[in-house]
Amino acid sequence: MARKISIGVLFSRSGPYRLMGETSRSGVLKGIAQVNEGSRFDLTFHPVERDPAGDVDAYAPLSEEILSTSGARHIVGCTTSWSRKEVIPSLERLNGALWYPVPYEGFEASDRVVYTHACPNQHLLPLLDHAFRLHGKRGYLTGSNYIWGWEMNRLARQVTVSAGGEILGERYLPLGSIDVSRIVQEIAALRPDFVLNQLIGPSQYQFVAAMSELRRTDPDFSGRRCPVLSCNLTECELPVMGASADGIVAAGPWFQGMPTLLAGQEQTQDFISSFEAAAYASVIMLAELLNQRPGAEDLPLSQLLALPNARQLGISARTHHTRLPIAIARVENGGFNVLDVLEPIEGDPYLTAGRDLPRPVLRVVT
Amino acid sequence: MSRRLRIPDLGGAVAVILHRPHPTVAALARQLEAIGLRTQRHWPELPPAAQSADYLFIDVDPAHEDQFPWLPGRAPMPTIALIGSEAPGRIEWLMNFGADAQILKPVGTAGVYSALLIARATFDARAEMSDQIDSLRRRLSQRQTVVRAVALLAARGKSEDAAYDQLRQMAMAWRISFEEAAERLVQNAAADKEADHG
Repeated sequence: MARKISIGVLFSRSGPYRLMGETSRSGVLKGIAQVNEGSRFDLTFHPVERDPAGDVDAYAPLSEEILSTSGARHIVGCTTSWSRKEVIPSLERLNGALWYPVPYEGFEASDRVVYTHACPNQHLLPLLDHAFRLHGKRGYLTGSNYIWGWEMNRLARQVTVSAGGEILGERYLPLGSIDVSRIVQEIAALRPDFVLNQLIGPSQYQFVAAMSELRRTDPDFSGRRCPVLSCNLTECELPVMGASADGIVAAGPWFQGMPTLLAGQEQTQDFISSFEAAAYASVIMLAELLNQRPGAEDLPLSQLLALPNARQLGISARTHHTRLPIAIARVENGGFNVLDVLEPIEGDPYLTAGRDLPRPVLRVVT
Repeated sequence: MSRRLRIPDLGGAVAVILHRPHPTVAALARQLEAIGLRTQRHWPELPPAAQSADYLFIDVDPAHEDQFPWLPGRAPMPTIALIGSEAPGRIEWLMNFGADAQILKPVGTAGVYSALLIARATFDARAEMSDQIDSLRRRLSQRQTVVRAVALLAARGKSEDAAYDQLRQMAMAWRISFEEAAERLVQNAAADKEADHG
């Protein structure tokens, strides 16, 4: 008789970053279906879903609703860092845990959270290294006006300057704003070697379209010159941008066409994006930790992650971050063409483990 | 004035926690280790070897000066106060002892990293300021020497302004500070005088 375990699902299905929320949610539901249909686990998962609809102030009350009304102790959820930081005090108060399956800016290691997508040593640092080698060290920074963009750009500035490069400009837009013309004019005038783009949602779509127009009209921006770099662009947002996304260079743990390397993907599963894959992997990892351990669903997260199989799954009991492969890929014809694949490395949220980049396991010579 | 934060190298840095065995210590050590530091726990006294640590966390509630192998205000590393009781007497003790940052108890996963950065920046700024004050004090104590040097030059028939100007030019030529030039001049004059008498 399988144990029935409720798990919370907390992603926004409307609002500026709804495409990311939808793909994460889809990964969770695929993971739950996988756990429930097989005989591998002695448990079944039952989703308790809430939709904050992109309202940052809805996350804390909805997470409390899940934890206090359903018996669920684990929630898979949140897209933005802002919403994650809103949820953590509720987790502490109501003894819950959050599986956070999207890339973020690091500098956090809550004992209530498992970070199952990449942090800067797994996305930004290898991406900048790629840009320095192929394009140069004069960068322009842009982003949406909240912690993800601010902190990623602060780190990018530090890394660029200490590598002997320079930052020519830095500009932000409010979340949801599409007023990108000033940023693009500035880029056209400054002619940097690369643009690091931390805009999200409609701001990013408008910016990418305007950069594509600049490439069409200004020969200094044609071909592969001055690429737009992204640490959170995945396949889930390519259709909405169409051909204008061509040429964007992104970093992530997985892109379509790569061998499946995240936990739980040994089962043949098709994923749209690394967001979906990491959300799926979160559910599978949780099932692995709870399997054959009645009552483990009520253990504090720190005790659950101290189990030996957490290590085997790639979760660090010290930092609660995961070991992930790193890929650098360029958008071509509406899909990603993988350029570099680096060996899997531990998440290093405070960048204290030393700055050696992992070895390449695949490098396409261009 | 805005200053850019210099992020200290925390990987492998040693943090000493002076606190009796307690869940607060476990939570604090967990967070320090997640950040990448190594931790040492001591109670009730700090062994001399702890002086080489990179950071010190102290429990303010029961703390007293005899626990530390240095005088109040002379901690050789950034110090972070763990505050439980907000009784004014304890805060007064802390003000006298000196701390570079503080965390209110109970300690959770938030607050430790920012306390490390703030403590390091405050400690470094304090050390820099104390160097500057020493240097200003030295220059202040040399005022009398400057007056004597200017008087010596003026005695050779210069106006006070011209003597002052000449001393400044000598300092530039010798590539030393104004005060050092004055001292050299006064010493040379004393030596000449002795030679005359000898």
